[in-house]
Amino acid sequence: MKNLKNYILSAAVLVGFMSCSSDDNDAVANNVTLEFTNTFNNTTIVLGDATAADATENTSEMGQVHHFSELKYVVSNIRLIKADGTEIPYNVNDLDNGATVINQANTETLSYVLSDIPVGDYTEIKFGLGVKSDLNDLDQVSFPEFYDNAGSNETQMHWEWGTGYRFTKIEGFYDTDNKELSFHSGSTLEGEEGNYTQGVDAYRDITLSLPTTATVGNSAPTIAINANFDYLLSGENYTITLVTTEDITNNATPSAHTATEMMKFVENIGGNGTTDTTGMFSITSVEN
Amino acid sequence: MKNLLRTLFIVLLLSSCSNDDSELVSYNNPEVSLNIPSDFPELNSSFYTNIPTEFGVELGKKLFTDVRLSADNTISCSSCHIQENAFADHNPKGIGIEGRIGLRNAPPVQNMAFMQVYNWDGNKLQLEDQPLVPIITHEEMDSSILEVIGKIENDESYIELFKNAFNGEGITADGIYNSIAQYEYTLISTNSKYDKVKRNEGETFTESEAQGFAVFQEKCISCHSTELFTDQTYRNIGFPINPDTEEAGRARITGSTEDYMSFRVPSLRNIEYTAPYGSFGQFATLEAVLNYLDNGVLEADNLDPILKDNDNRIPLTAQEKIDLIAFMKTLSDSEFVGLDD
Repeated sequence: MKNLKNYILSAAVLVGFMSCSSDDNDAVANNVTLEFTNTFNNTTIVLGDATAADATENTSEMGQVHHFSELKYVVSNIRLIKADGTEIPYNVNDLDNGATVINQANTETLSYVLSDIPVGDYTEIKFGLGVKSDLNDLDQVSFPEFYDNAGSNETQMHWEWGTGYRFTKIEGFYDTDNKELSFHSGSTLEGEEGNYTQGVDAYRDITLSLPTTATVGNSAPTIAINANFDYLLSGENYTITLVTTEDITNNATPSAHTATEMMKFVENIGGNGTTDTTGMFSITSVEN
Repeated sequence: MKNLLRTLFIVLLLSSCSNDDSELVSYNNPEVSLNIPSDFPELNSSFYTNIPTEFGVELGKKLFTDVRLSADNTISCSSCHIQENAFADHNPKGIGIEGRIGLRNAPPVQNMAFMQVYNWDGNKLQLEDQPLVPIITHEEMDSSILEVIGKIENDESYIELFKNAFNGEGITADGIYNSIAQYEYTLISTNSKYDKVKRNEGETFTESEAQGFAVFQEKCISCHSTELFTDQTYRNIGFPINPDTEEAGRARITGSTEDYMSFRVPSLRNIEYTAPYGSFGQFATLEAVLNYLDNGVLEADNLDPILKDNDNRIPLTAQEKIDLIAFMKTLSDSEFVGLDD
């Protein structure tokens, strides 16, 4: 794997040289910045402890007030699609350079810069909420940077027992008495793609059309992506009433740490993978 | 160091290419001959792609007992998987570095080559996938594979063992996982009194043991079947529930409420050595387990049909319990746990 990476690196360097040798000054590639805003509907989320006055409160369709103290999710497998349908994958098989943990508590993580995106007009973006199955094995040897970043005390996105990454980690409180809400998602698949022997796949592929064409050239566009966490309890797929531990149905604490009730929440925020491929995500704007 | 090795490797590669008659270094690393009982279930297919070898097993055993696998160099695999306890321990739940307490009871490591599913919830189907979990889990060793490699990569004895075990390959993550699995594959328990009686090696059951065997066949064997004394299925048998918020039993893997608080049927081999019992050590003794089953278990929607059809209990007389325990102790393999040496 290391050798493969060196190989890719050499190839990249080579390509770099080749582009240097070109005469014209026109850009051949430029950055695209993804800016994530995490909201409850139109309000940007402010995190807070159980009794924090400034934490953003949301009320679910079933009338349950809730707010978050922690909000993290993994974005990977990013692809930009040109008007003619050409798909430009962005380090989709390299978690070190193509995946990131969005952490609401850390503003820096809300922007993710895609570098060296080829010149062109882009009309669509695809990305994964979570890590696709073939890369989801906590392989520190292959992707030490992403592994360390995801596993740091600040992020805590290792799902050790499943030997995979946490795809989402949400901690918070619900109802007027501030009961604990805790939702972790991740995949428990075993076996090879197309031949899974057990488990559930919490990875969700998101497809979003851009309302304005993103033109990469001399300009380096910024795509503003909204993640509306109102969907967690009040999504397209499930309307959830949170309950306490005696009843495992719709339970966000504790059994949503496991695969038991996890998939309802996963489908609400990440879509069902067939008819709903946007989940909680939408594009707010594209700035060229 | 790694770069140096890589460079060396490339140089070697190049130089071997330029040779006409490339001299292949051959490592003499014979397969270990294992006693595979004919009446045991089939071997896990992973066994055939990671067949235990002399040096692989030696390396695996060394790693299994090396405290450097843990972040603070205080515990090894063998801290919780102790030979005299049939490679389990006597704690209700696993205890990791700094006294951190895990989710579940440490399972015995025995007859792993014949298992198709591992751990209480069957989250792993290949033994080679397992060693990383305790290495990285916060409540266990709380380390990482690169940290482990960093600690051992300059250790001459490891360098030598890895070379011999894996045809000159250096110290790799896969080498660590595979060699530990190879060692574990060799931990086969098949010399209990039960086995010797069955093989007509001159031993006979006492009257109580024979009675217990009869009760076992009547009331236990539908789950504790095969020569491993587990059918390797997952069942909710209404045992007291682990209050840890991470616990869901098999449902943790499948997401199915039908599997909620279901656990893999444990083997009864060497059960005498592995107290306490249950997924989080709910029961201190075998007697406590039998009393609980006799008195009645917790109701659940997905309670095993065998219990549901019998008023949520397995009725047992006091004598039957005594005899069952006598029988279960015939599954003790004193040689396996090192008491015969």
